Amino acid sequence: MTELLVGTKKGLVVLRGARGGPLEIAARAFPGEAVEFAMRDPRSGRYFASVTHGQFGPHLFYTDDPTGKWQQAEGPAFPPSANAAIERIWVIEPGVDDDVVWCGVAPAALFRSGDGGGGLCLHSICPWPGDPNRLAIGISSAGVWLSDDAGKSWRRSVGGLVPRYIPEEARKDTHAFCVHNMRRAPRQPTTLYMQFHGGVYRSDNAGETWIDIGTDRGLPSDFGFPLAIDPNDPDRAFVVPLAADMDRVTPEGRVRVYETLDRGKSWRALENGLPQSKAYLTVLRQAFCNDGASPLGLYFGATSGEVFGSADGGLTWSTVAAHLPPVASVRCA
Amino acid sequence: MPKVILTGSIRQHVGGLGVVEVGGDTAGAVVSALEASYPALRGWIVDERGALRRHVKLYFGQGAVSLDTPIGPNDELHIVAAISGG
Repeated sequence: MTELLVGTKKGLVVLRGARGGPLEIAARAFPGEAVEFAMRDPRSGRYFASVTHGQFGPHLFYTDDPTGKWQQAEGPAFPPSANAAIERIWVIEPGVDDDVVWCGVAPAALFRSGDGGGGLCLHSICPWPGDPNRLAIGISSAGVWLSDDAGKSWRRSVGGLVPRYIPEEARKDTHAFCVHNMRRAPRQPTTLYMQFHGGVYRSDNAGETWIDIGTDRGLPSDFGFPLAIDPNDPDRAFVVPLAADMDRVTPEGRVRVYETLDRGKSWRALENGLPQSKAYLTVLRQAFCNDGASPLGLYFGATSGEVFGSADGGLTWSTVAAHLPPVASVRCA
Repeated sequence: MPKVILTGSIRQHVGGLGVVEVGGDTAGAVVSALEASYPALRGWIVDERGALRRHVKLYFGQGAVSLDTPIGPNDELHIVAAISGG
């Protein structure tokens, strides 16, 4: 049984069905409202959804049954001293301690919940399995930030990243390191993968420095947003390249996931069952996930409303749902 | 006390009521009192800075008013959501 939480521009769609097969819509929540992200915390079984209402702003909701009623959480909210208001809640990530949930928002800030989601909440939050003090976060246009004290203090860590979108003479002084996605390998926490704004990178030292794994290694483009890793294999990662920053669609009209099995030394296309002609799709940052099983289940959704899935690590794909509103996020429950 | 007339899409947070009477001598004070009575409304009409959300308007008398507009005890304040979106 597979359950997918699909955040769309017009509501949350809960898909259920046999693993590898077509999925049925089990529930639709927050109709008409943009659901930026939805996930299930595997520790508590509780579901969370970030909902941005067109008129009434961003709000966080939770439930123990995604086909039933959702409750509104208190917060996240900036303190008065910040003189800022949350515009979007981008991502929700379980912490290491049982009662901690992290939430990344725009304008870039990290919120922490101490009570399991009754009150909480950037786009990439990478806890360190077993060590609640160590965190890495990724912020669009602001780079990678590391903490060794559970977020009390932070240091920026962008060594090795090349912001090609900045004129060469200005790169030395820039702070504009545009991280698009970042994931930590849970079985080897010193290993992180990153999709950058033009560039795919790996870190072997917990994010202290970064190594180019996107240039001349088989990718049709090193631009993109989605990134997935195999939680059981720190050498294995997946990206969905888009043509370029000025043309954010699947390259050459072909939908392809690219996999590395050797930490980014080489990439190969996984395309069997995916549209391979006249298919100009956009896959957003949070719209790609895995189910952690073996063989690995992989799912991603497009702004054109399709959700694709593979139950065999990407060797074969099928359309598991179609005709949905533009897909913003996909997570396995 | 001033009467607050709520747009349909937020009535779910006040138990389905369309009209609520709460205290306050300015539009902002009325909104604050409304949030105090119905905590689920916090963050929906004004953000955490206390600023009116961009696509929400307050109407009193002949037109749209700001949060610091004085309101009398027999007045009606309408909270209206813009028709917007894609």
